[in-house]
Amino acid sequence: MVAPGMAQFGTWQPKSRGRLFYNWPPGACEEALRFTSAGQLGGEPYDVVIVGAGVVGCGLAHRLSMYDLRVLLVDRLHDVGEGTSKANSALIHSGYDAKPGTLESELLHEAEADWPGLAARLKIPLDPVGGIMMAVTDEQECQLEAAEKNAHANRVADVRILSADEIREREPNASSSVRGGLLVPGESLADPFMASIAFAEIALANGVDILLGVEIAGVELGQARHHLVTADGHRLPARRIVNAAGLGSRRLADGYGGGAFDINPRRGQFLLFDKSARPLVQHILLPVPTAHTKGVLVSPTIFGNLLAGPTAEDLPLDDPAATHTTVDGIRRVLEGGSRLVDGLARQPVIATYAGARCACSQGSYVIRYNDGAPGVVTLTGVRSTGLTTSISLARHLVDGMQKELGLELSPDSAALDARPESAWPGWWRRPFENGATDARADHGCAVCFCEVISEGEIRDALDSPLRPRTMDALKRRTRALTGRCQGFDCQVSLAEIVSGHTGIGIAQLTKNGPGSELVAPGQAEVPA
Amino acid sequence: MSDAQHFKVVIIGGGPAGIGAAVGLAKRGVGPVVLIERRAELGGTPMGYRKKPGGVPTFVEWTRGRVVFGEELAGRMAKRLAKTDTAIRLGTQVTKIDPAEKRLTLLGPDGVRELTADAAVLAAGAREQTPAEKGWLAGARTARVGFTRHVTGWLDRHGLLPARKPVVVGSDLIAYSAAAKLRAAGSDEPVMIDRRQSPSAGFFERLFFWRWTRPDWSGGVTAAGMKGDRAATGVQSSDGKEWPGDGVMVCGELVPNSELALLGGLAVELPSRQLQLARGQAMSEPGWFAAGNVLGGFHGAQWCYFNGRRLAKRIATFLE
Repeated sequence: MVAPGMAQFGTWQPKSRGRLFYNWPPGACEEALRFTSAGQLGGEPYDVVIVGAGVVGCGLAHRLSMYDLRVLLVDRLHDVGEGTSKANSALIHSGYDAKPGTLESELLHEAEADWPGLAARLKIPLDPVGGIMMAVTDEQECQLEAAEKNAHANRVADVRILSADEIREREPNASSSVRGGLLVPGESLADPFMASIAFAEIALANGVDILLGVEIAGVELGQARHHLVTADGHRLPARRIVNAAGLGSRRLADGYGGGAFDINPRRGQFLLFDKSARPLVQHILLPVPTAHTKGVLVSPTIFGNLLAGPTAEDLPLDDPAATHTTVDGIRRVLEGGSRLVDGLARQPVIATYAGARCACSQGSYVIRYNDGAPGVVTLTGVRSTGLTTSISLARHLVDGMQKELGLELSPDSAALDARPESAWPGWWRRPFENGATDARADHGCAVCFCEVISEGEIRDALDSPLRPRTMDALKRRTRALTGRCQGFDCQVSLAEIVSGHTGIGIAQLTKNGPGSELVAPGQAEVPA
Repeated sequence: MSDAQHFKVVIIGGGPAGIGAAVGLAKRGVGPVVLIERRAELGGTPMGYRKKPGGVPTFVEWTRGRVVFGEELAGRMAKRLAKTDTAIRLGTQVTKIDPAEKRLTLLGPDGVRELTADAAVLAAGAREQTPAEKGWLAGARTARVGFTRHVTGWLDRHGLLPARKPVVVGSDLIAYSAAAKLRAAGSDEPVMIDRRQSPSAGFFERLFFWRWTRPDWSGGVTAAGMKGDRAATGVQSSDGKEWPGDGVMVCGELVPNSELALLGGLAVELPSRQLQLARGQAMSEPGWFAAGNVLGGFHGAQWCYFNGRRLAKRIATFLE
C-alpha cells in the first residue's frame, strides 16, 4: 500500500480560501458553519455552480479550482461523496472490459496513467493488487479469449490468460471449479470516500465554496446569468451550471429543459467480511460478466477487509434511493462469491450495504453542453467507473466548457495542486506508527475498539478542512463505527466526543444530517 | 521493544470475570498480576446499567438473594479488586497478542507499550449480534438502529430516549431488560419481534419485567428488513407484515469478543466466533485461559465473577 508521508502531528494548517456551509437548523452545527442566506456567499454570480458533490463533482471542482474562477459546489446531502460515490466496490479500473472506442474507454485509459500520481497528490492510499477474471465453467472459459482481445483493444496491454494451475498458485483458496482466467494487473484498490474528500479539500483550499444539505428545487434561466433556486427559496446566481447530480440529474435537468434521457437506477448489494477473512484472497477476483451484469466479485478492501458484491437489480424509477439490502440479495451475493472462493461462507460478515448506480437510457458518460439553455452542462450516466475516471473526466469537461461555453481559463498562481500537508490526512495515518513521535495523550485513548481509533483521531478529523459534523462523515474519515461491532461499543462515547469538541448538543447529533438524529428528536439532555 | 514489562499473569478485561480472576489470583498469592481495561472505568457491561431512582434493576445478586442495578454490583466487585495488589491499566487496549511468547501490545494514554506474562486470561466479555450477523435482518441503514448498549448509554448517561416508539428485535432476558428500561423511561410499550416462535426469555423472567413492560410480541419472523429513509421507521417482514416505530433496538444474542484470539491465531470457530477450548477454560495455546462471557452463552455478572475466581486455581496449578 502506498501511504504517503505526512506532516508531523499538530503541525497544520493552511487556511481554506473557500467557504463551507451546512444548511442545517439552529443548534445542529456551529453558527459559523450554518447557511442562512445566499448573502453569505457574496453577491456576485458564480462562474460555475456544480450541482452534485459526488466524486465526479468533487473532481471537477478540484480541476476548476486551479483557475481564476468563482466556483460553488452544492449537494443535497450532508457530506461530499455521500450518494452513489460511497457505496460501491471501491476499485480503480484498468478499463480492460470497457467497450472499445467509447468515451468511457478513452477516459479510463487516460485515468490509468494518472492514478498513481493522483493518489500521491491527494495523499490517499492506493493498493495495486491486480485482478483475476475467473472462469468457473467451460462456457466461461471460451469467453476469456474474447475478453483478452477486448482488453487489448482498450490499450490495456498487460492482460493475459492464466491456466487453472497458475490461478491456484496465486490464489490457493480459488474455487476448485476454476477452469482458467484472465490476469488484469492494472486493477487497484482505493478508498472511495477519501477520494471525494481529498478533491473537495483541495478545491476548498483554492477558494471553491461548498454548500451542503441544499436541495436544488428549480432553475430560473436568464440571459447573462441563471439562478438555482433551493428548496428553501434561496436563489444562487450562476453564469454556468454543471448538472453532476447523478441519480438526481433527471429531475434537475427538467428544471432547465435539458434533453431527453432517463435514469434507470440499478441497485448493488454488498457484503463486508471481517479482517480475519482478508488473507483468503490476494487479488480482486472477478467473475466472467454476462450480458446483464458484471457479476459478483470478491475483493480485498483498502481497509483490510474482504468484500463481495454487487447484485444488479433494477430499481423503480420513483424510488431511486432505495438503497436497502434484502435477505434474498445478501444470499445471492454469498452464493455468487462462493462460486469464486472456497470457504467464503464460513467467514464472519460484519456489514451489508447497497448502492444505486446511475445507469442512463442514453448510454454511459452522456455529456451535453448548452443543454436546454446556454451555459448549462448535463453530465449523467457515469456508472461503475466514476471513481476511476474522476480525474480524466474533469479534464475532459473543463476542455469542453472552454470550447463550448467560452469559459475563460486563466491559471490561479496561488492554487494548490496537491492536498495540503495536514496533521490528519485520514484513517491510514496512525499517530503511533511510522515514527510519529508527537502524538498527544488522547491519541492513545481508543474509542472505537474494533478498528482501534482514538479520541485524538476523532478530534483531528473534526478539525479537518471540510468540518465533518455527522457520524457518517466521521466514520468515512476515521473508520470508527465500521468494525465488527458496528457501533455497539462506541456510538454513544463517539457522540460524547463530537458534542464535547464542537459544542453541538448531543441530542442534536445526526447520522447523516437533519432527520437522522441519533435519539428520538425534540429532547433535551438530562446529564446523569 | 526490549523494555517490555513482565508479569506473572495478565488479565485482558476489567469486567466481572477479569476482576474475579484478579481477586482469585490474589487470594492464592499469585503475582504480580496486571489487569487491562480498555474503558476509562472498571466494571464492564454491568457498569453501564446505572443506579437511577425509578429505574429498572436488572442484575441478580444471588449471594444476597436480591435484585440490584449493574452499577452497584460492579462497584462492589471493583472495591474487592482495589484491596488486592493487582496493577490496573485503565483506558488501555490490547491491540495485538503473540500467543506463543505471551507478549501483548497495548495502546494507552502513554502510547504503545508491550508487556509479557507467564499466563494470560482473556476476559473480554461479549457484545450483541449485529443485524448482518443475524442473517435474517437486512434493510435500510438508517439512524436509530441500536443495541441494548445504546439504550443504557443514552438513557443512563444522558437521560435521552433512543426511541419513543421502539421496536425491539430479540426476545431473551437482555431484550426484555431493554424493553423495560425504555418503557420505564417513558417510551410507548415496545413492539418485540424475533425469529423464534415464542420468546426465549423464560416465564419467570418475563414475569419479573411484567411490572414495567408487556411488549407487543410477534414471533416466527424469518426474513425482515429495517424501514426508513433517514431514521428508522420500523421493521417489515418479507411477507409484508409491518411493525412501525421510530427506532429499532437489536438486543441480546451475544457474540464473544474473541477477535484478539482470532487475529492472534488462537483457535476460534467461525462464523460463530466461539473460542475453541482445549480443556476446561484453557485455550488452544498453553498458558492462555478464558473467563466469563467470552466463553459463550450469556451469564449474569456474578456467574462471570465466580467463573473468573475459580479459574485462578487452574492458573496457579499451571504456573507451578
